[in-house]
Parts: sequence; C-alpha cells; structure tokens
Amino acid sequence: MATLRKQKRQKSSRIVRNTSVLAAASMLAACGGSNTSTVPTAPPASPPVPPLSVMIKGIVTAAAFTPGSSTEPMVTGGYYQGATVCIDANANGKCDSNENPVTTDANGAFTLAVAAAGPIIADIGTMAVNTANGATNPTRNVFRALLDQVNEQTDAVIVSPLSSEVARLTEANGSDYQTEKQNLATRLGVELGQVMTDVNTQTGVVQASMLRESNILSGRFAYAITKLDRADLYPDALAVPGGDPEITGMAGVTAATATVADTRKPITFAQAEQASFNVEGIPRYDHIFIVMLENKATLSLLNSPFAPKINAYLHAGNMLTSYYATGNPSEPNYTALGAGDDFGITDDSQWNCDATGPNAPQDLPLPTNDQPGLASSPFAATCTQAAAVNHNIVGRPNLFNAISAAGMTWRTYSESLNPGQDLRTDSVADPAVIAQDHVYQPGTVGGNTAVVGDPNLVLPLPAALYKTKHHPGMAYQNVRSAPEFKFSNRTMGGSQWEDALKNSTMYAIPAGYDFDQFGSDLVSGDVGNLNFVVPDQCDDMHGISVKGTDVATAVTVTASDCSSVANNVPNATGGAIITRGDNYVDSVVKKIEASPLWNNPQKKVAIVLMFDEGNATSGFNSCCGWNVSNSTVAHPLTQNADGSWSVDMTVNNYSNGNRGHGQSVWGLLSNQPSAPKASVDSDVYSHFSFVRTLQDMFQLADPMNDASYMNRSKYTEKFIAQNILNLPEYAGSADTHFDSVRPTNHAFAIPISYTQKQSADISTPAQVGPDPTQANIWALK
Amino acid sequence: MRAVTLATISSLALAACGGRSGSDGASPEAAVKFRATPPLSLAAQVGRKIFFDKALSASGKMSCATCHDPNHAYGPPNDLAVQPGGRDLTTPGLRAVPSLRYKEYTPAYADLLDNPDGISVPGPGGGFTWDGRADTLAQQAGVPLLSAFEMANAGAADVVAKLRASAYSKLFRQAFGDDVFNDTTAAFNEASAALQAYQLEDSSFHPYSSKFDLYAGNKIGGAMTPAEARGLAVFSNPKIGNCSSCHYQGAGRNGSSALFTDFSYEAIGVPRNARIRANLDAAYVDMGVCGPLRTDHNPASPAAPEVHCGMFGTPTLRNVATRKVFFHNGVIHSLEQAIRFYNTRDTNPEIWYPNVGGMPRGSPDPSFPQYGLVTTQYDGGTVQKFDDLPAGYHSNIDTQMPLDARAAGSSPPMTEQNIADLICFLSTLTDGYKPSAPSPISGPCVN
Repeated sequence: MATLRKQKRQKSSRIVRNTSVLAAASMLAACGGSNTSTVPTAPPASPPVPPLSVMIKGIVTAAAFTPGSSTEPMVTGGYYQGATVCIDANANGKCDSNENPVTTDANGAFTLAVAAAGPIIADIGTMAVNTANGATNPTRNVFRALLDQVNEQTDAVIVSPLSSEVARLTEANGSDYQTEKQNLATRLGVELGQVMTDVNTQTGVVQASMLRESNILSGRFAYAITKLDRADLYPDALAVPGGDPEITGMAGVTAATATVADTRKPITFAQAEQASFNVEGIPRYDHIFIVMLENKATLSLLNSPFAPKINAYLHAGNMLTSYYATGNPSEPNYTALGAGDDFGITDDSQWNCDATGPNAPQDLPLPTNDQPGLASSPFAATCTQAAAVNHNIVGRPNLFNAISAAGMTWRTYSESLNPGQDLRTDSVADPAVIAQDHVYQPGTVGGNTAVVGDPNLVLPLPAALYKTKHHPGMAYQNVRSAPEFKFSNRTMGGSQWEDALKNSTMYAIPAGYDFDQFGSDLVSGDVGNLNFVVPDQCDDMHGISVKGTDVATAVTVTASDCSSVANNVPNATGGAIITRGDNYVDSVVKKIEASPLWNNPQKKVAIVLMFDEGNATSGFNSCCGWNVSNSTVAHPLTQNADGSWSVDMTVNNYSNGNRGHGQSVWGLLSNQPSAPKASVDSDVYSHFSFVRTLQDMFQLADPMNDASYMNRSKYTEKFIAQNILNLPEYAGSADTHFDSVRPTNHAFAIPISYTQKQSADISTPAQVGPDPTQANIWALK
Repeated sequence: MRAVTLATISSLALAACGGRSGSDGASPEAAVKFRATPPLSLAAQVGRKIFFDKALSASGKMSCATCHDPNHAYGPPNDLAVQPGGRDLTTPGLRAVPSLRYKEYTPAYADLLDNPDGISVPGPGGGFTWDGRADTLAQQAGVPLLSAFEMANAGAADVVAKLRASAYSKLFRQAFGDDVFNDTTAAFNEASAALQAYQLEDSSFHPYSSKFDLYAGNKIGGAMTPAEARGLAVFSNPKIGNCSSCHYQGAGRNGSSALFTDFSYEAIGVPRNARIRANLDAAYVDMGVCGPLRTDHNPASPAAPEVHCGMFGTPTLRNVATRKVFFHNGVIHSLEQAIRFYNTRDTNPEIWYPNVGGMPRGSPDPSFPQYGLVTTQYDGGTVQKFDDLPAGYHSNIDTQMPLDARAAGSSPPMTEQNIADLICFLSTLTDGYKPSAPSPISGPCVN
C-alpha cells in the first residue's frame, strides 16, 4: 500500500477489505457460470458512498502489428487513449458507469480515485485509439491488473496484455501473482523486473519479445470480450463433453452419435478469458513441430520392429488412432495440410501446371534455368496436362497467411536442399556431393542377422531428395508471394549428405549459408509458432532410387536404405527405409527435446509425428470432411454477402480431389510435465480436423463463425446438415459423425455399441464402444 | 442458410434411381445417387446418336450398343464367347466383348506404366481393348467401326458418308463445323471423339451406383452383410483370394478409387476356346499384347522370347456378376466358374485343360469336380496345361496368388465358403442397387 498515494486517511480499511472479498467472490461465482449482475455490494436502500480515499495511477499500454514484414513480425508499442479504467466490482468485464471509470489520456495514463485499492480493468472500447498506429480499436477489449500488481507498482500501474495474462494465469492455475509473473517472464525470456513494465520503455530483444507476445495476447483477450459481448454459450459446442449438443435432434444428423443435451449457459467474463486460450478445447501452444513422414499405413508402422524408436514415442506420448489422409498421392495431402483442401489436385505435378488465366503464377520470374544463378534448376517453364487441373491455388485462405496475419510465425524446415537453390524447385543431383552408404549392424534393422549396407559404397547426391510436392504451402500463390516466404523456409541438417553439401557445385553456395538452420533455430529459439519439419525423400520413408559405386569392386550398387516399400508393407516385412526414417525421426525429436525451448516448461511445445497418407486398398479411404468416394458433385463453397453459401463451380476437377488415402499413425509429444501421457483418442480425424485444430490452437478462427474456418475445415456435422443442398456429396450419409470435421480434442464420446469404421490400413479388429478415457491429447495438465 | 433433412435428399435421389433405358435404345438415365448429371456437350450428343445408330454398320443391323448393351453394363447381352458381325452378321469375332463402363480413368498403354497403387513395380498397363492397342476411347471407337467381323465399314470414307446421310448430320455439323464432312479423316476422327465424349460425359458409363459404392461412401443402405464382408476379406487378403492385387480397389490415378482394375496386363493361361472359329486353325494363337491383333510387341521371329506374349488386360470387376462370358476368349461362362478357375487352375489342371492320350472313364469319380471345362475324367495321358500359349512363353505366366503355381493335387487357396462369400461380395459391385427395406433376412449372402 505504500506505493499508493493516499489523500485521506479515513475509516476505509473495512471497506477495502470488503470490496476485495466481494470482488473475489464474484469472480469465483463467475467461474461457475452464474449471473454476476447481482453482486451484493451494499444494502439496496441508501447505499453509503465510500470516500474516494485511494488514487491509483497508471497507464494502459498497447501493441500494434503491422503486416508485411519480410522477416520477423513487426510489432510496435504505444498506449490506448480513450480507454476507461475502473475497479470492475461486479466482474462483468465492463467499466459500468456506477463503477466510476476514468478515461485514459493521449499517453494512456489514468488516475483512478477509489475508496480502496482493488484489481482494475481497462475497458478499451471501439472509440479508444491505439497510439502505436493511430488506429481506433476495432473491437472492444479488456486488460486487467491484479490487486497484487496494483499494490506492487508505484504511481504507474501498467495495465497491459501481459498484466492481463498474469491475472488470467492465476485463475487458470489457482496460483498467485508472483508465481505467474515469474512464469511469464520465464516464458518470454525476460527479467522478472521487466515483464510488468511499460513495454515502450524497454529496448532490443526484451522489447521485441514483449511486444510480439502483447500483440498475440491482445488478440486473445479481444476475442474473449467478443465472446462475452456476444453471449456465447460456454463451452464451445465442439468442446462439450460427449459431443456437439447443437446437433442433438437436428434433421439430417445421425441420431445414434448425436445424444448430448445442450445445458450450456452464456459465458461469463472469467470463462471467456480462459476460453479464448482454449478454443474448442484446444489449448494455446507456443510452438508446434509437425514432422512429416511418407506413405505408410498404420499396420506398416504400428509395432513395427523396423521402427522401434517411433513406436516408443507413440506409446510414450499420445496418439490419434483413427487418423485419415485426405488425398492421393502426396501433393494433395500436403496441400490439404496447408489449408484444409486440395482443390482438385490429384497428382504430384509442379505447382505451375495448368495455372493459367486468373490462376497464372504471380511470383515471377519463374525459377527456371535461364534465371541468374539457377542454371541447374529443373523447373519447367510450362506444364500442361491432359486433365487441365490448376496446381496454383490463388486467393484461398491457408495456415501460413493466417499465422503471419496474426503476428505469428511459421517455418518449414526442409532437409537436403541444394545450397543456393530456389526453394520453389526440386533439388537436383550433384556428383560432387558424396556420402557413404548407411551400414547397419546385426540387430539394428528389424532384427537383421547380417550386416545391411556396403561400407565401400559411395553415393553421389541423388536428385529429388527435396520435392516441392512435400511443401504444405507450395501450392498456394499467396504463400509463395508472401514477403516472409524466403525468410520462413529454412534448411534442416541430419542428411546423409550433410557433411558433403559444402562441396556442392550445382548452385553458388550463399555466403554464411547455414546447412542446419533448424539446429541453429532450436538453440536461438527463433523457430516458428507453426513448424513443418520435412525430411528428405530417404529420411521420410518415401524412398527414391539412390545408387553409387562400390569402390572396392567398381560395381554399381543401390543404397542400403532408400528403396521404397509398399504403403501397406506388413510390419514384419518392413524394410530398411523404415528403419532409416525411424532413426531420423529419433534424431529430430532428440534435437528438439534438447533445445532450450523444450526445456522451458513455461513454453508450451509439442511435436507431432505423422504421415501424409496411408494406403486404403479397401474400406474407407477417408473421413471427416472428405469428398465421399467417387462423388462427382463436390464443389467448394463461397459465402454470399448475406451469410448464406453458394457453390463455387470454378475449380476444374475439384470433385476428384479430397477423396483420401487411408489411415496412418499419428503421435503427439508434449514438453508439459503435467500433460497426459499415453492417452489414445480413437475418434475419427483427418488432415482437415488437424487444420481445424491448428486454427483453434493459434486462435485463427472463431467457432461461432463457420466462414472463419478455412476451406473444408469448416465442414462440421452441423455445418454440413445446414448446407446439405450445397454439399450433395454428403447426402444420404449413413454416419454423419464419420463424414464431418471436428477438432482433435476427444470431446466426442463414442457410443457403447458403436463399431469404428476403418480401412484395410488397420489390421486389428475395429473398436466397439468408447475409449478407456476421454483425455484430450492436447491438454496441458 | 437452409436446413434440409438428409432423409429428404436421399429419398429424392433414390427415387431417381429407378430410371432405365427407354425402348428406343436412347441413353439410359442410369441410377444416380450422388453423381452429377450435367447436360451433354454437343460432341457427346453426337456420340450418343452414333452409339445407337445401326445404319453405321455394313449389315445395317449393328450399332455400338448391339454388343455394348446399356442394359448389360455396356457389355454383351448374351453368353456368346464372341459376337457375330460383318456384312451379314455371320462373321464371328475373335474375343469376348468387354464392358465399356468405368473406362474414364484408363491411361494410354505403356510397357512400364506406374501402378495406380503408387508402389507396385511398373509394368505393362493401360490402353483399351484386351491388348491395349488403342490409346484412347476415341481410338478404340474406330476399331469396331472398321473391323470386318464387326460393323464392317470399308473405310473411314464409308463411315463418313453414312454420317453425312444420317438424321443427325446437322447436329454433327453444329458440333464440328459446317464443312466437317469435306475432310474424311477429320470427320472420322470427330466421330471417334464424339463417341469418347459421350462415354466420358454420360454418367451411365460410370454410374457408381452399386451397393459397394454405398458402402465405400458411408451411405445409407451400404452396410455389408456378414457374407459380403467376408467376401471382401477374401478378395483383399493376399494369402487367400488376392484378387485386389490386380483388380485394384484402392485409391488410384487422378482421384479415382475402387475401379477394380489396375489397368495391368498379365498372362494367366486361360484355356483355349474351341468355340472361337479362328481357333479351329491350330496355328492361330491369340497372344494378346504380343499379337497378332496388336503388332508392336510381336516376337522378333516365331517363338522368339517376348515377355508380353499371353498377356491380356485386367478388366474392371464392376458388374462382373451380370456377365455371362469371362476372360478375353469367353471360354468361361459364369462368375463362379471364373473364380474356380483361379482357385484350381494349378491344383486341378485336368478340369480346365484338355487331356491328350488318356483313357476317358465312363463316369468320373464322385470326387471329380464337375465345375470345370473338362468334366470327363481320364486315366493316363497328359493334361495340356496352358494350351492356348506356346510352350516357350509359359514362363510369362504370372505366379501371384491365387495362381501361385502350386502343385497339382495340393489344396487350393480358397475354401468353398471363401468362394461363396467372394461371389456375394462381387455381387455388391452391380450397378443400380436399390437398398430394400427391410433388409433381406435369408439367402446365400445374408449371414
């Protein structure tokens, strides 16, 4: 209290205590969902007006994100002018007039006279101005400062997104101000004494870290207020335990899987703050690493003696066990992972194929071999195919643009690039880059009894270790044209040829070239929020022809471990390439797990191990937003001005896309010590579910607005039922739950007598009934 | 947003499934459940006219639809191994009529075609006709028009003259230009292209309206019976039926799936069919990809090594239960017999291939199967296994399951139950399926 200016010392201590207690009580009540409008502040008859004995002075800080950076996100600091500040006595997330709010000045400053110190809020309305960019605030927002902070800070209580986050975390974790202040400082990598200060007074990396986080938090808290002001029901429909309650009894929905009554109530302020960090039950993560592997059905990987390390990770971490690919072959799957749709791409062709008219490439010049420095480029200037399917997706929303637009970062880490190559081209062979064959001792490849591999075999770098078809953003014009495209696409080491890449001759090696930016970024922390980790076509288990010469015999020999095996190879048969991929995955996971990021438990970090596609020789090709087998009626939807939807007939071959290619293993590792381990979610999910999950994780979409979910990731059971005339591929469904998208949050409980649908990619009998637990694989604790 | 019940949609769609071809032989309005039916292009409209035009044959009695009957999945309407054709409809053909259904994803022939499963070793595949010698449906269309034992036109000019005189010549001009008939080659090519357009555009050539499609599409009415599900397992299991190895049912090229063919060519040693007139000449051997109809893979000299000899295309198995002739030479006449050939070609070759030098028994042992092509039991003699392929090419015979060259007298890969179940499953591939309500509770394919 010594830090507060006390103008009058009167008999106010009792009131101070009461006010605090009441505020806290109402806060707690709010968590239970009760209406907070009847806070018993005083007898109703003639409320005594307590003397305004305490002056709280402070400032409300702001962050403003400017899109378009070609490097890190550009966030500047400032203040909110015209925000109101008060003690939110009724905890309704507003400065009501009877709470006697004061208004911030052009420097964000306020002086609040109150009867006693209390936790304060800044109610930032749409008239308020963010001085960082001079713009009026687009949607109402509220920042908070806890009483402990008010007490701690002198004449300047810094009300900021960071102070608000500390307040929120104390409630999320049942902890206190000092604990969460320290935790936030630890997470941001700043000093304890810095984290609650005016960000505008900080400099350098400390300021940059605080500003970037302030911008993200501002978005989260603004979203919380949007939910509150909209009176959203709590929790989100797709996070309700048991399943979406909105579809119970709904026409066009399979009744057997829509059984949950809707008992939700309008969200409270306190709930809204937590819910905005847990959209559809998917908690916010700071960093996610998605390790992409190739072409293996579940039965080929699960418990394979050729992949003991991946299996150890799968069983130690969490698994989705009914996870479906959405396309065939690679390119449509990666394209779907980038945005929740493949747009009718049904092959692995170059991204400019049949891209004409409005689809013509805009990132000119094309990276052809007549361009300076690209003499070795394999890129074909033109590509025309019989099916005339456009491979350059123009103007569609995608994860990359959405992440960047929110002031967050993405990375793709690609292995075995030719140093100096254009990322938009496949890598090429280089006879000057020579590696030894991998030699496996007995017992290291699926129980081999003889040595596998030839120690005398030298292998020149083959072509196509890096393929653009395996880049989840490559098909999207607005990704390749994004200012941060070059900055965000990075190298990854660990290649068989890594040590020899310095001898590369096909392109000029750029000065200061980092052959393993992935490793460097893990040390520096400069990884993205969203990271696609893309091994080369040997290390991802795809397989290509790699041949070299045995120096002892001068005979041409094929590399020991890069020959393809069938997508559904029996796990007893396996193949050396599976072990190769297993070893690579192990090295990537170990590298991440050794990083400062991973070992900072205040940072929420996850690793996903997944495959682009399985095999699906029989049974179901896909689920969950799929284009139901052999339908020819699927088209994308476009939203009309009045909110209704129409069919978009402009995408040639669209109805051949999104048909799926079976099931693969899908594992999640988390750095959170208290997170659930070894939990298994067998609900059906697809790449579209995962894209929806990522949108929730990074708060890129709003469950109350279907259109905010990109492309087919919006195809929830409710959305399909409401738009069935525009989505005729789903007509006559025998199981609308199976056909539709949901986030991977395990909220849906499988009915007791329900038999799982599955493809031939799973060799075990179909599960009947619910999972042993409904644990959410993403849960932080 | 309009909310509409799924039940309404599906009942409307099901109601539309009843349509069938009219008596005038016009295009069948085939069952369409969740398939689009956009209007035919002008070229396709011309193609439809041509397809049903008997005047385009020398006999005046044969159209494309005569052999490729829309009421029989665009396959033969009868059980004749080969159909009669020519000027007087008395000249027998050389091969069984294939179905024209589900050809829309077939690529041109290549010696090393990538398998649609994306992983099998590339091999001979693609193309049209039993030997793949036509690259496109348009090319294929020209074959019967000019074949002496089919529509028997003297040449392209003959066909074009008939088109010019047809009732739809105006439509033809509208589609391809006023002066299209001035150039015989161009006009013939346009006619072929029109037939292709018709087959690609008209959904009756690819209706995907079988029970299997309901099953694979997660649709009401698609729940398989236990027998059908067991049959699917037999079909897929590489250790039992292994049918799906060539009759690929997974996801394939260009978004296709469940075509029940991988477009590949294999030599499986189908017995010679003495009922084909050309086969009366012992020197005549139809060896598929290596000739004689196809001419680009012929042995360099008679009996010279050539890996393509004996290879014929893998047909789709969609609608297979409706066929009455099987394999390229139509020697087999029921689905069950075709499956039994696969099952016992190696274990009981004596019931599929002729015996030379043996003594026929008056009546066979009770255990001697009667489902083969040879129902007479012989004592002694030699079974002429692979009697329709010169001995030098027997090494071309594929050895995949279930034709894994196991010893005569050993156990066949499939049990009687497997065979019964497999037939049940294959019957789910018949288009025009209408789920009955309530579901049948008895019959061979229920439990």
